[in-house]
Amino acid sequence: MATRVLVTDDALFMRTMLKNILLHNGYEVVGEAANGRESVELYQALRPDVVTMDITMPEMDGITAVKEIRKQDPRAKIIMCTAMGQKSMVMEAVAAGATDFIVKPFKPEKVLEAIQKLAS
Amino acid sequence: MKAEYINPFISAAFHVLKELLDMEPSKGSLDARREMCTSQQCNVIVGVTGKIEGQVIYGMSLITADRIASLMLGQPVKTFDHLAASAIGEMGNMITGNAGGRLADLGYACQITPPSIVRGTNVKISTLCIPSIVVPIELPLGMIEIAVSLQER
Repeated sequence: MATRVLVTDDALFMRTMLKNILLHNGYEVVGEAANGRESVELYQALRPDVVTMDITMPEMDGITAVKEIRKQDPRAKIIMCTAMGQKSMVMEAVAAGATDFIVKPFKPEKVLEAIQKLAS
Repeated sequence: MKAEYINPFISAAFHVLKELLDMEPSKGSLDARREMCTSQQCNVIVGVTGKIEGQVIYGMSLITADRIASLMLGQPVKTFDHLAASAIGEMGNMITGNAGGRLADLGYACQITPPSIVRGTNVKISTLCIPSIVVPIELPLGMIEIAVSLQER
């Protein structure tokens, strides 16, 4: 069965790009969230295998969303995909419960590698 | 505004644009502006908060915005729709995010806000009265003008 992924990013462009990369490589995109709050709700409803999570988003940021999702499911696998690559941000995300961290702009291989690592 | 705030944005723009568009950018000469306002037809505005605060404007012509969005999307942009605007906004987000890391290394830890797009020239952006330093970044597909207006909190 294909790995089920929930994509979270406030930018339509980024959601579209991630969706295309994943669909062309045999993954199933079960949902798209435009902010942290939507991601938390969709996680509960869809229980995806992996979540991609932006950090800077309106309504609820990605770090808060990671904490909320981990409260629901301590084994949730979440990959941060963000433009904010500074060390303090990576540490904050990992402390919140993120499993991996990808800095934008990224090549498709980087995303696939991270998801493959978590899915296996 | 301190001149040291501009260099992280120039380095970030070179890094991000090279990665994103696979093109070699070059830098034009720096200029100063008294007020924070748009000077191009298509502008991405990203707010900065933290040890320094203010805004950064990435301005370009509509033709340049179309060309950049087309390259980012991997297909020609026929009308500058929501997806194309989102691509251009994301470019501003990536450059500002990358510059944020470089500013943090200099001791100015900061966060950024989600990007907004403003269409049209001479639009005043903020109530903050911070002068801008402006740097044009030249690409084979047009020019992006980066106006950085930041101050220490």
